[in-house]
Amino acid sequence: MAIVILLILPFFISDYIVSVLLNILMWIALTESWMILSGYTGYISLGHAAFFGVGAYIMALLWRKLPFFAIVPLGGLSSMFLAFAIGFPCLRIRGPYFVILTLGLSEFTKYLFINWEVNVSGTVGRILMGAPDLHIFYYSMLVIAGLGVAVASWIRSSRFGVGLRSIKEDEEAAESLGINTSVYKWLAFGISAFFPGLVGSVMALRWTYIDPYTVFNPIVSFQIIVIAFLGGVTEVEGPLLGAIVLTLISEVLWAKYPYYYMIILGVILIILVYFIPTGILEPLKGLIKSRVALKWRSS
Amino acid sequence: MAFLVGKNISKKFGGLTALHHIEFQIDSGEIVGLIGPNGAGKTTLFNVISGMYSPTSGEIYFEGNEITGLKPHLICRKGLTRTFQIVRPFFNMTVLENVMVGSFFGGAQIRSKAKAEEEALHILKFVGLQERIHLPAKGLTSADRKRLELAKSLATKPKMLLLDEVLAGLTPTEMSQAMALIEAIRRELGITILIVEHVMKAIIGLSDRIIVLHYGEKIAEGKAEEVAKNPTVIEAYLGEEIQV
Amino acid sequence: MEERVLQLIFVGLIIGSIYSLIAVGLNLIYGTMRLLNIAHGELIMVGAYTTFWLFTLMGISPLFSLFLSGLASALLGALIGQFIFLPTIRKTKSVVVLESNSLLIFFALSIIFQNVASLLWSADIRGYSYLTQIVKIGGVPLMLNRLTAFITALIISVLCYLLLQRTMLGKAIRALIQDREASQLVGINTKRIYLFSFTISFAMAGLAGCLISMFYEITPFMGLPYTITAFIVIVLGGLGNIMGSLLGGFLLGLVETIGISVTSPGLRSIISYGIFIAVILIRPKGILGRGV
Repeated sequence: MAIVILLILPFFISDYIVSVLLNILMWIALTESWMILSGYTGYISLGHAAFFGVGAYIMALLWRKLPFFAIVPLGGLSSMFLAFAIGFPCLRIRGPYFVILTLGLSEFTKYLFINWEVNVSGTVGRILMGAPDLHIFYYSMLVIAGLGVAVASWIRSSRFGVGLRSIKEDEEAAESLGINTSVYKWLAFGISAFFPGLVGSVMALRWTYIDPYTVFNPIVSFQIIVIAFLGGVTEVEGPLLGAIVLTLISEVLWAKYPYYYMIILGVILIILVYFIPTGILEPLKGLIKSRVALKWRSS
Repeated sequence: MAFLVGKNISKKFGGLTALHHIEFQIDSGEIVGLIGPNGAGKTTLFNVISGMYSPTSGEIYFEGNEITGLKPHLICRKGLTRTFQIVRPFFNMTVLENVMVGSFFGGAQIRSKAKAEEEALHILKFVGLQERIHLPAKGLTSADRKRLELAKSLATKPKMLLLDEVLAGLTPTEMSQAMALIEAIRRELGITILIVEHVMKAIIGLSDRIIVLHYGEKIAEGKAEEVAKNPTVIEAYLGEEIQV
Repeated sequence: MEERVLQLIFVGLIIGSIYSLIAVGLNLIYGTMRLLNIAHGELIMVGAYTTFWLFTLMGISPLFSLFLSGLASALLGALIGQFIFLPTIRKTKSVVVLESNSLLIFFALSIIFQNVASLLWSADIRGYSYLTQIVKIGGVPLMLNRLTAFITALIISVLCYLLLQRTMLGKAIRALIQDREASQLVGINTKRIYLFSFTISFAMAGLAGCLISMFYEITPFMGLPYTITAFIVIVLGGLGNIMGSLLGGFLLGLVETIGISVTSPGLRSIISYGIFIAVILIRPKGILGRGV
């Protein structure tokens, strides 16, 4: 039902709202895929901006050489291959060390690209001309987000998902029950990198200008974490709520008060981690149910 | 027939020798007890057999195939499963889901969720947890958590179980129930068992044979009565008279 | 030629002395509480800006505002330790969850600091001139501000060493680093030590920031590279090993300076993050594992 609305909506509303929805869909896609690794296995990644950036650069390099709908999957695949390539050594690292490792890898990638750009092409940024219509971006992102939600949801209730979640609960016990934990983590890592790659490719063209500082910005990873914790890191519907909240706050603040926006997000994250680490989705649902029940009883 | 064989197993952690030239052989269908004072190396031996540690030297054979140094998940799939001394349930998953992990990923490698659930329910009935299947594991009592640990390991369809102090902390009633369950595991499911225990009565009651470790070395082996009378064993336990 | 090498060594030691301070601060919190303060660099930034404004607005010499920067950072450390982290440590039962959650909280704090600084003082690069006279040591020309920073850093390092080796507080800290449970058993008030660790750690970062501001430009985003460097030092020097950090800082300063001179300054970030990643991946067993 909601999908039908989302499909026909752009024809009835202003371009501004479509672009807001586009952003919400983008964050949903990014966070759902982050969840496949970090929510399910507990290996929290602060480095997903790297996969986003790789996707963006694939678009920057191939735009005008290949059609849009061919480049975007390539962006996703490139990020996925990168994740598979570095996955095994990285996933042997546990806990907070994995977290800072991912941050380090993301920054490392950023500086690699900066260096490469400066030395090879002389400039740091790239301009992409001839971008398609807003609606194309919207529908692309709708498909990507939908796919992300579907994959995250399917995994959660599948045998693979049970394996991932037992890794989060107790990795050694999981292994002693027959789970090949190394391979499972590696698979989750690769899958979780695919969607940021897709998203990065699309957004690079949407923004028409990219440079390593923006597409590899840890702020991207930061916002993913805030959204994830808002909704509850293992709830498939969580990112939907989180993305909406984040985008609303960002719409109000980002243009004029970017610093306030970041500060507020930082405070929100601290409050969430400290007080409500399982996210506000469940409590919110409970609250709504009890309100509805109250109203129903009193009517 | 020799089921689990350990040849010349040593394990060193830096300067500390936890296991020193351990030799053992467990035959199919046996229940063998492994005892020794605290720090003797019993859990270390389990960790080495089950793949959590690699031995510094020595080999381990299961059903004639060498399993030395294999990763824990592979050893489990071959039919050798261990339980943990301090039980490790998946706290935020239900009892049923906990056991399904074993069904999915253990020796049976079940792919279908429905079949895994069916198997898990069967095992939960066997251990007596059928009333609790939808409870989150963190809500279980201590004794029930031990049943769950047992159930998880049974779900992996083991041919042999390594039980690490499953009886610790149980009341006398719970203990006789647990012992009956362990005997039923051997009798009805045909599973060979190597069990570490501190409760002497229980281990003497359950075991066909007993191996005694002390400071990482095997100091005695044999039937319960022989071992109980062995002066080296008695000395290791500081003069405790073991009542048979 | 020889003068050039000597200059490299001096510069390496100077920057190394600052790295030592930063690394010791990071290692204090890690050693006592097993927490990774990824916002450490931002505290350096706070110290740097405090010094900058005190100098630019009120003409207070950085050497005097050393105390003020240190004090301001120490206060920040006490507040954050007391109101955010002590409750978190108390609340969280699982060690794994505590370490990860604290990291996220520190990360959020770093973002908050960066943006508060940008808000208050804009994101522009700032700098001030102080003690820019050239002095010659062993025939090598050095700016007086760097020399001053070096000597001050050395003094602080010696004080820190004395604190750890000669005072009861220092002994308690070292005991806690070695064995938390045993420390509690002998009656050490761990909560108070945690608070002291936070305070001293943040203070050292603030002091380092003050010294850095004397001869480097500052921005709200200057912090992370220092955190990364500090982290490299503490892993290589030994997690929880304060002496190792003191020495390791100097060593890394030397290696980095010489390394940049034979490659190129543009590669600095790549090399730094590359070493950071390598150090985490190839860590000696037991130092970064659960066994610590």
